[in-house]
Amino acid sequence: MDKTKIRFLTTAVFIVLLSIIGCKQQKQQLPTKNEAIVKTLGYAKGFTIVKEASGVTVITITSPWPNAGAAFTYALIPKEKLATITLNKAAYDAIVSVPVERIVATSTTHIPALEALGVENRLVGFPNTDYISSKTTRERIASGEIKELGSNEALNTEMTLELQPDLVVGFSINNQNSAYETLQRSNIPVVYNGDWTEETPLGKAEWIKFFAPFFQMERKADSIFKGIETSYTEAKELAKKSTSNPTVFSGALYKDVWYMPGGKSWAAQFLKDANSNYLWSATEETGSLSLSIESVLEKAQNAQFWVSPSQFTSYQNMKEANRHYQQFGAFKNKRVFTFAKTMGDTGGLLYYELAPQRPDLVLKDLIHILHPELLPEHQLFFFKPLD
Amino acid sequence: MEACQLTVGYRTKKARNSVASNINFALGQGELMAIVGVNGAGKSTLLRTLGKVQPQLSGEVFLNGKNLANYSPMALAAEISVVLTEPIASKNMTVEELVALGRQPYTNWVGTLNDDDKSKIKTAIWMLELEALQHKKCYELSDGQLQRAMIARALAQDTAVILLDEPTTHLDLYHKVQILKVLKSIAHETKKTVVFTSHEIEMAIQICDTMLLLDPTAHTFGPPCKLIEQRAFERLFPADTVSFDAKTGSFKIEK
Amino acid sequence: MGSANTYRLNFILLFVALLLCTGINISLGSVSIPLEETFTSLFGGTLENTSWDYILWNYRIPKAFTAILVGSGLALSGLLMQTLFRNPLAGPFVLGISSGASLGAALLIMGASLFSGLSIFSFVNDVSLAIAASIGSFLVLMAVMVVASRVKDTMTLLIIGLMFGSITAAIVSVLSYFTDAEKLQQYIYWSFGSVGNLSWSQLSLLLGIIFIGTILSLVSAKSLNALLLGENYAQSLGVNLKKSRFYIIIATGILAGGITAFAGPIAFIGLAVPHLTRQIFNTTDHRILLPAVLIYGAILMLLCDTVAQLPGSANVLPINAITSILGAPVVIWLLVRKRKMVF
Repeated sequence: MDKTKIRFLTTAVFIVLLSIIGCKQQKQQLPTKNEAIVKTLGYAKGFTIVKEASGVTVITITSPWPNAGAAFTYALIPKEKLATITLNKAAYDAIVSVPVERIVATSTTHIPALEALGVENRLVGFPNTDYISSKTTRERIASGEIKELGSNEALNTEMTLELQPDLVVGFSINNQNSAYETLQRSNIPVVYNGDWTEETPLGKAEWIKFFAPFFQMERKADSIFKGIETSYTEAKELAKKSTSNPTVFSGALYKDVWYMPGGKSWAAQFLKDANSNYLWSATEETGSLSLSIESVLEKAQNAQFWVSPSQFTSYQNMKEANRHYQQFGAFKNKRVFTFAKTMGDTGGLLYYELAPQRPDLVLKDLIHILHPELLPEHQLFFFKPLD
Repeated sequence: MEACQLTVGYRTKKARNSVASNINFALGQGELMAIVGVNGAGKSTLLRTLGKVQPQLSGEVFLNGKNLANYSPMALAAEISVVLTEPIASKNMTVEELVALGRQPYTNWVGTLNDDDKSKIKTAIWMLELEALQHKKCYELSDGQLQRAMIARALAQDTAVILLDEPTTHLDLYHKVQILKVLKSIAHETKKTVVFTSHEIEMAIQICDTMLLLDPTAHTFGPPCKLIEQRAFERLFPADTVSFDAKTGSFKIEK
Repeated sequence: MGSANTYRLNFILLFVALLLCTGINISLGSVSIPLEETFTSLFGGTLENTSWDYILWNYRIPKAFTAILVGSGLALSGLLMQTLFRNPLAGPFVLGISSGASLGAALLIMGASLFSGLSIFSFVNDVSLAIAASIGSFLVLMAVMVVASRVKDTMTLLIIGLMFGSITAAIVSVLSYFTDAEKLQQYIYWSFGSVGNLSWSQLSLLLGIIFIGTILSLVSAKSLNALLLGENYAQSLGVNLKKSRFYIIIATGILAGGITAFAGPIAFIGLAVPHLTRQIFNTTDHRILLPAVLIYGAILMLLCDTVAQLPGSANVLPINAITSILGAPVVIWLLVRKRKMVF
């Protein structure tokens, strides 16, 4: 053969070899693009988020209510991908196209997350709007931008249908809410928010990451939570520095039963993290204990602090309600603190609304009360001394 | 209709309470029979047993040669009709509707009346002289009128036997006689066997073909004159208070 | 009272009234939808405002159907009970059937504390609630039937039914005492009764139940008329007492039990509508009363639901309260006017 032909052949072989090697390398890169990313959650146990390569985010609620038998999976598809992706409807409990522009929420605990993410103006309906304390949202209610929808148990189906929201964030104690079923039949997705089942302070706050994918604001949520987490852990470390370990108890009588937060409850954990000796911290309950006045008196008569005595706002009220309250040392020494005095304009308690989202403020309040020397300049946010 | 060694009474879980026992009688078609006796002798019990309203304690009753126990309720409804002492539960129907209920054994599942039914109803109303009242509601009637309506209903049921329990109680003398005369004409003209219980022994003697006298010692059965001959009535009441005059067929107070 | 023609005319008027009430019920609700839009949508047109379309077809129309079925079924079972027991105070729940359904629902919603660990209790949803309520009423019905076959006197049966009702209500009380607030609230909301939010498949099931109950009642029309004279007379007319009692009780059980399972315990309709119908039609003939009571029951239920929706406001009143508040004065007025109860 001649020289030109040989040269041509070798370059051809060369090119072929190169492309084969090149292809091999590319093949090695492709698998990483197809992997789904699982979001890391440090504290929340009630949900998981998986972002698939296709762009679909899958949220699984493992704990919509206590002792839930099954989990709920929701698929979130970005609006621009709606045409190209088809999902198996039967595999998901709801399919939501994001970002959501019009949202209906059903619990005041949902409001702070929306406000923190800056999407509170997308809230169009809420049952029992009177419970909401947040000033910004109250203004929107007053101007009619948020429609009153009745109550969660008996959600006004007609008005919700008229609102045509993109999403309804609901909560329930079981899967029996016929209004939700009607909404879902009308192609309005309903998702269950289980933040109230979360048992730790930071776990509850982490649910802001549950809301984030619906508005495509995952990064913002992450940074907001990081801020809260840091603030909380710093306060916790600070509390450890105190040399005192004051005794604390909580709750009050309802008829003949004293409801005392259990040792593993959300409220009890704050007390523990604030470096106090919560007298019932040894119990295993995550809910409330039902105690008799005798057992409480016996154990807590000389406790130094009394935190959250039910709905009472003044010493006079408590005296009139039950004369036994005067037997407690904390009562006599006026060391009783409550969150019931911090209310919104229409009577909603701010604590129930904002505390789950801002556990750092709760902790700082408690530290200021229980260890005054540690945070002398802190202004009490939720808890106030009884009148 | 005939009864053989019939014992009637009440059965409870613990005991059989026999009210009257060893009753025997035989009736033919078109006869009018009265069952009489003192209070508690068992007249109503016997009548209700004959109508299968309550079960007998022992013995048998035959209707047209067939044992009463072998009749189904539907078949029996075509053979025996009753007029009882209990008040009806709803007085809000018209007389015509009440009488029409008597045709139930013969109508279809929805109760439509055919021409035959309608004519039987009409006849019953006419026989009991209820034409003027037929569109009135039962609660608007007097006791006597209501009684006549109940009899008309039994008549409309067109059965071989009509049993009536105390049909003349609460009625004045005129109406008592009226009812008894109607019963007699029903028996003789339509050839139905009519059996009734009554306290009106004197009237029964005058009007009935046969009588059954329930007496704890011995029951007597037969035509009234025969019973008078047998001095059955004299044994009925304590002689120092009430005595029976065989010639007039009436009771007299002993002073 | 009287001619077939008067009855025919009355029924035609009634039917027209029923259509009218259905129309009113569909047109009014929390959201104000203009009448022309309602008509356009009903007769096949599409609306610009799609949410109104949704509301009409996915909420109001199923609700209206449910109200019709519930009202007619309850009224029918009430009539059956009043005639069987020859008691004007009887209603469909006199045999303890709604108490049985309430017990079933209560056990499902609140029983978790008693039977902790049984995983079925976590599967509370619409269907399971209906099933639990049906099982509850069915069990009570069975108990009643067993007793009915052993007890000769119908009055005794009435008392026993009331006793069953007391027992089940007591058990529910105990459950309520030990349960937590949310579960109790949910149970109470169920007990308020509701005709909204039934799916089309549940609706067709309910239709089937009402249908069966109605057929059983129609078949018993003749014996019901005979029972008006009393049981002994009825028997002398050839009525098989055991069999007819059986059919009537089963029909009532199916109707009242099925309705309570789907719509919760709805009071008053079963008791009042038979009285209303008897007064207005002035007859006791069940061949007239049975169909009449169906239509009147439906009309009353539709009207009560329309009021309960509180047209224009977001709140909705519990239908149980409305049926009594609206129904009782009507019955009182009727009785006072006529000065005599027609029974």
